[in-house]
Amino acid sequence: MQVNIIHLVKDFGATRAVDDISFSFSSGHIFGFVGPNGAGKTTTMRILATLDEPSSGDTTIDDVSIVESPETARQLIGYMPDALPTHRDMSVHDYLDFFARAYGLTGIQRRQVVDSVEDFTNLSGIREKTLHALSKGMKQRVSLARALLHDPPVLVMDEPAAGLDPRARVELRELLRALSEQGKAILISSHILSELSEICDGAVIIEQGKIVTAGTLPEIASSDVEQRTVLIRPLERQDDLCKAMLLMPHVAAVNDLGNEIEAKVTGSEEICSELLENLVRDGFRIAEFKPQGGDLESVFMNVTKGEVQ
Amino acid sequence: MTAISHILENISNSLNPIVIKELRQAVQGKFLAAVLLIFLGIQLLTVGLFLTDDSVSWSFNAGRNIFKTLASMLMGTCLILVPAYTGLRLAIERSDANVDLLFITTLHPRSIIWGKFFAALVFTALLFGACMPFITLTFLLRGIDLPSIFALLALNFLVIAVAIQCSILLGCLPANRVFKIILGLVWFLIMSSVVPVYITLTVAPGMGILDSGIGSRVGSWQFLAASLGVLVTGLACIGLLAKLATALISPLSANRALPVRIYVTVVWSVTGIGVVIWSVTIGSVAPVGVWTSVQIILQCIGLLVAVSERESLGQRVRKSIPRGRLLRPLAFLFYSGAGGGVAWSSVMIILTLLFAAAITSVYPHIWSGNDFEEFMTCMAALGMFALSYALAASFIRRHILARRVAGCHTWLIALALMGFATTIIPLILFLLSGTWDESWLIGSPLGPFIFIGNGDSDLLSGSAQLAAAFAVFIGALSLPWFIKQVINFYPPRQKNAPKPQTD
Repeated sequence: MQVNIIHLVKDFGATRAVDDISFSFSSGHIFGFVGPNGAGKTTTMRILATLDEPSSGDTTIDDVSIVESPETARQLIGYMPDALPTHRDMSVHDYLDFFARAYGLTGIQRRQVVDSVEDFTNLSGIREKTLHALSKGMKQRVSLARALLHDPPVLVMDEPAAGLDPRARVELRELLRALSEQGKAILISSHILSELSEICDGAVIIEQGKIVTAGTLPEIASSDVEQRTVLIRPLERQDDLCKAMLLMPHVAAVNDLGNEIEAKVTGSEEICSELLENLVRDGFRIAEFKPQGGDLESVFMNVTKGEVQ
Repeated sequence: MTAISHILENISNSLNPIVIKELRQAVQGKFLAAVLLIFLGIQLLTVGLFLTDDSVSWSFNAGRNIFKTLASMLMGTCLILVPAYTGLRLAIERSDANVDLLFITTLHPRSIIWGKFFAALVFTALLFGACMPFITLTFLLRGIDLPSIFALLALNFLVIAVAIQCSILLGCLPANRVFKIILGLVWFLIMSSVVPVYITLTVAPGMGILDSGIGSRVGSWQFLAASLGVLVTGLACIGLLAKLATALISPLSANRALPVRIYVTVVWSVTGIGVVIWSVTIGSVAPVGVWTSVQIILQCIGLLVAVSERESLGQRVRKSIPRGRLLRPLAFLFYSGAGGGVAWSSVMIILTLLFAAAITSVYPHIWSGNDFEEFMTCMAALGMFALSYALAASFIRRHILARRVAGCHTWLIALALMGFATTIIPLILFLLSGTWDESWLIGSPLGPFIFIGNGDSDLLSGSAQLAAAFAVFIGALSLPWFIKQVINFYPPRQKNAPKPQTD
């Protein structure tokens, strides 16, 4: 199943919250959706969940358009918002049973689905607890369980790891991996980029409603960035190396850190490779050459300016 | 599975999920149980006190007197607590993501509203049920007949149902917490005033229907007509409030105005025929007059809502615009959109006035004197003032306050303009001249009512002429805005499906 976000635009009055966004993700993959606060992530996700209407553009899930057939699209999407369930005087089981009914599940099928979702999300032990007595991590589980009730092939999750303790984060990560292995297409937004790096196959970084960079994680890491840091540990002649590097093109700055040298290099991974080649050719013996900034967090910090709409 | 459990399972599956959720929450919560227990205790105490008083218990009217007290307590409890409980819960749920989540299920917003309503009716029925043993006792104590008991209880149940639906509508209003608290307090104050008046009208000595009893009148045409009239009015109110509440919780992208406008038009037609039959039968123009006033006031409110609607249609609504040239103008009137809404309300106001005028011409015997002519002038002036102020508000928002006021708040500007014409202008003129002159209210939408009340035909006529001139002037200014919306009201010409940039 392929989800295509096609030239999506959303205006709120004079403010353009989402500005011509296009990307795709597919079954069995987890796709990260990253951006500073106010970048348009939640708006995009709400459009995907059919809660908001795009000003123009569309999203298709295989051939189903969320603009033309929102009712059909709802059957294909499980949406987990950043807000947690707050129904008063309601147990976990009653909450899930209520949403199962709302999705049109009846009789034995409803009971089986609710039981299996409770098992999968590890909620069986607390099914009779009231919602307001749950911890944030447990509420996130309930929210995920609710999104899974109608077995949607696409999951859209807005900040599911926000406010979770390390153990709950690990558990959530395992759940997401299991769902991905089941063949679900997952779009997940999070501010915890190290978490996303570990579980995502690809990511989209947006800022001020526009895509800054997108693709698989290796693609993003190797994408052109203005400046990257390289840590170099020579076996000898560290001072000479520093001087030589300062004369080389694309090297913006060099810092002697004692055991190693930190160089600021402007350009892509190819430029870094050329730099290493030149150093070896010039007779420097290099023990370690480590380009930094390949992780999602570094890319994010490089490509975004932290501006909001 | 046994036959009984199979039947129960089928019932459970066919019930509205919202009703089940509400009832489960009520059972798990303490509020309803506490209300029921307190209510039962107070009734037991009341009946006990009555029965221990010999002068009451040996009276031939003992049953009636106790019933009046019990019915008053029942009404007071149900009219204040049940709507407040229902509205408050909905307002709390509406303030977070809960209602949003329901939109991505297969549950329709209509089901949410009716589910809340039926759950509240179940609570009401529980309170009525708790009262039943004591009410049965009142019949045994003499002084009251069964038809009177059932008629009053049925009327009370209908009034409570309307109040519940009203509170659901208020709970659905998209507002911040502070505004909701203010709204809740206003609602509570209104109910605190209305409930004693209603109770007085229904059970007070000499005023209610209990003193004379209705057993002998149950089969009469008058009783049936009055009962039918009250029932139809009550159900029409519940339906309208439900449609409005459904529109409020529907997604912004939905064609929210369409069901409301269709409903109002259908009710307008059906009740129009009904009041004509009623007026002709009783030989009085009163039913037509009441109907006309209600319709005009409703459409005046409709005008304020219409100018607050979106001016450019979203993709979902545009995709549902009929392609036929005959159906499209009709769809323009009924679909969501500011231009269409203004046109629909204006057409309904004109149709209402024409209909009332036509009826009094066809059946001249129901019309005595020139009172009705003045009434029609007053209604026409009100309609034109509402149109003028609504369009003026829209004009001001678009040209002066575009960056400060969102389109959905245009109604606030209209109300401010009306308030300005009703209070500020007369106040300034009063301060300048030192004396009060009624004619200073000539530009106020309330002016025609004051002039007709004081029997001042000249001022009434002047007010109507001013309203007409205002409507023509602001209508001419708004014409480009309106024409733009008419021109833009067409279905999308081609499918917008460009290729994605990133795979």
